[in-house]
Amino acid sequence: MWSKKAAAVAGGALFLALAGLIRLNYLFISAGLVMLIFVVLSSFLDVWMPSVKIRRETTSDNIFENGDLSVKFIVKNRGLGIGFVEIYDQLPPQARITKGSNYTLLYMRPWQEVSFEYSLKLPLRGHYHLGPVKMRVKDAFDLFYNERIEESIHSFSVFPEIEILEEQIIKSRAPKLLSGAMPLNVIGAGTEFYSLREFVPGDSLRSVNWKALAKKGKMMVNETVREDVMDVILLLDAREVSAVGGGKDTPLEMSCRAVATYAKQLLDERNNVALMIYGESIERIDLNRGEHHLFKILTALSSATPKGNLKLEIVMKDMLPYIPSGSPIILFSSLDDDHTISEAFTNTISRGYTITTISPSSLDFEEKMKRIPVQPLLIARIERDNMISEIRSFGMQVGDWKSDEAVNSALQEV
Amino acid sequence: MEENEVKESRLPKIKDVINYNDFFGEYPLIFAIKIISSLSLIFVITEFYNYHNPLDSLFTKYVKQFSESSVGSTYFSSFKPDPNVFILWSVVAGFIFYLFTLLRGKYKFFALLLTIIFVGQYISDPALDWKLGEHIIPSKVGDEGAEKWTWKPIKIIYEDKKESVERIDEFTTRAANLIFGLIPFLGIYGIWKRKSWAVIGSIALAVIIGWTCNPNYCLENFDADYCGYDSKSKENTWEESLAGGIFVGLGFIIYIELSYAAIKYENYAEQFKPAGMDDSLLTDAQKKGVSKTLMTLFMSYLVNLGVMLLITFIMAEIIINVNDYLSTTEGIIQDSIELQGPYGIVFTSLIFLMLLGFVRMFVGADYETEES
Repeated sequence: MWSKKAAAVAGGALFLALAGLIRLNYLFISAGLVMLIFVVLSSFLDVWMPSVKIRRETTSDNIFENGDLSVKFIVKNRGLGIGFVEIYDQLPPQARITKGSNYTLLYMRPWQEVSFEYSLKLPLRGHYHLGPVKMRVKDAFDLFYNERIEESIHSFSVFPEIEILEEQIIKSRAPKLLSGAMPLNVIGAGTEFYSLREFVPGDSLRSVNWKALAKKGKMMVNETVREDVMDVILLLDAREVSAVGGGKDTPLEMSCRAVATYAKQLLDERNNVALMIYGESIERIDLNRGEHHLFKILTALSSATPKGNLKLEIVMKDMLPYIPSGSPIILFSSLDDDHTISEAFTNTISRGYTITTISPSSLDFEEKMKRIPVQPLLIARIERDNMISEIRSFGMQVGDWKSDEAVNSALQEV
Repeated sequence: MEENEVKESRLPKIKDVINYNDFFGEYPLIFAIKIISSLSLIFVITEFYNYHNPLDSLFTKYVKQFSESSVGSTYFSSFKPDPNVFILWSVVAGFIFYLFTLLRGKYKFFALLLTIIFVGQYISDPALDWKLGEHIIPSKVGDEGAEKWTWKPIKIIYEDKKESVERIDEFTTRAANLIFGLIPFLGIYGIWKRKSWAVIGSIALAVIIGWTCNPNYCLENFDADYCGYDSKSKENTWEESLAGGIFVGLGFIIYIELSYAAIKYENYAEQFKPAGMDDSLLTDAQKKGVSKTLMTLFMSYLVNLGVMLLITFIMAEIIINVNDYLSTTEGIIQDSIELQGPYGIVFTSLIFLMLLGFVRMFVGADYETEES
């Protein structure tokens, strides 16, 4: 194929030759002809152009937000041709290259194999793909080239960032058959100390507190908190309103990070976790445990997009029949634009469930973007505080999560 | 222990004043390409003006005619574009303009302001004298005890209007020389600032200026004193002109190719810099790797260019000699007058190019890359 440069040089050369004829300018004529000969001779260079095969390798199929993905290209010349090869790997617009470059220019010798690498970072969760790869084999002067688009697509997911939680404060009142690491607020077999009581026949001697015996002069035994697995339901608000703000600073993005962090912690402690995402419809990842289940949850979180305006009351009505009784529900929502929240909470609590709410404040984002004047913002803050107080008045825990705080801080607020 | 506070110097750091990294670049090779490219530009332009005397240009004729008819003979009286002068100065001006663009923020503004002040002062200096009077204004004057505030206006005294007019004339003449000097000005700026439009612009200007040139045109319009030659130059034979033209043509190719290479390889190195930063984040080892790649690319490129220029030169010589042979050998072709003129050489060249086109139909890659 002719490049723009080839067309320009050939056009200019023809113009010079013709202008020279009209003006009887020998210099123009000869300069034009020399340039024309140069272009025509260059067109023969593709006889020796290399026949190139490329292969792409990546370190991982999935990364976390702000994690590095390394990409390696192996370029092989399969013949005796020599020439210049340009390779450009198309990246998602959100990607930031941290090392190397997704573009390279190589000079290939016969049978040569060359590799080049680059690393990229993606700040936002989601599903992305690398490619297609644009490859151009060309002569030294960029006059003629052969272009090929290699449909080498590498799809990968960017999962929400996971933080390490410092403490576990979600408790259930419904023990399960299998023991796990989740402390329940009931006395039973476990490792965490609960209280001291007097020895009664049947108690194991291993549980006797010998120091207390020496102090009080009677047999005392340690009681521990029962540790069991439990079913935890994570409920994520992905309504359109949760996209307030921009980039990583939206309630939905914050909630996704929190859900990922909670899910990881709960699954590590061998609990059953279910995820429900509501917005336009309800997407469910049923109760399960293990690494594979975490992967399913993270994939679902990567796909979560702000859509629809399904109210919490309807979601709860649909969901509750499928949730094991007594299981804790953790709601991640900015609590915006939903007048059914109070009723939803009342209905849920009346059926014996507990709801813990982690609520990223969308007003912080609005304030950052300077989209709301001071006075209305103040009123909105009062309204939000009232809403949180109302939920707390039901005896439920609500974490008012500020935009710049870590997930751990949201837990402390609860 | 008493802590020593490190006071920051009031003088700005040089990197805050000028982006010198853009000038030296991260890779010496690219700096070298730019220098070679600049030298090739100077060679081409010098050769170009050897063939196209600016005094024989239509521009010169109309500038002179315009000044004589509209503003009188004083303006542009010294307008006499001399390639030995304006090529050098235009190259320097292009380079200074490039340096000017490297200045940052307020320093760029100050440099522009200083230039305007300097030019204004240069023109007005002989004509104007600023007289302030005895007192600073406003000031107290009068007898003892009697105080009076007076205003002493600054007086502008015209001293030497003629000298000032001469300076304006000199300035306009220099500015008018830029018509011819724009080729190296734009070329140098384009090479160093990596602006392909400037390089293309310089070539387009060369074509336009060459187009407006007529041999001995100056002598037909002005006297011999002005033109610097009193008899019409000997017409070169067309073989001589063509032979000279081949070198100018090759020079143009070298200029285009090297300036394009400078831009291309610098852009290649630039991609490793994060947007908005002057330095790349590459480690020294990585920089060495990039430098090695650049060296490989450029050496391969130079070999290709050298070989292609040699083949082009041989081919052009063959065409000229074949045409010469055909036009001078006895026979029916010799009778064709056109063959001995410029049409002949174009005709012969086109036949050669047509033959190459035929060969190209059978020789070439199978475009394996497009198959898959």
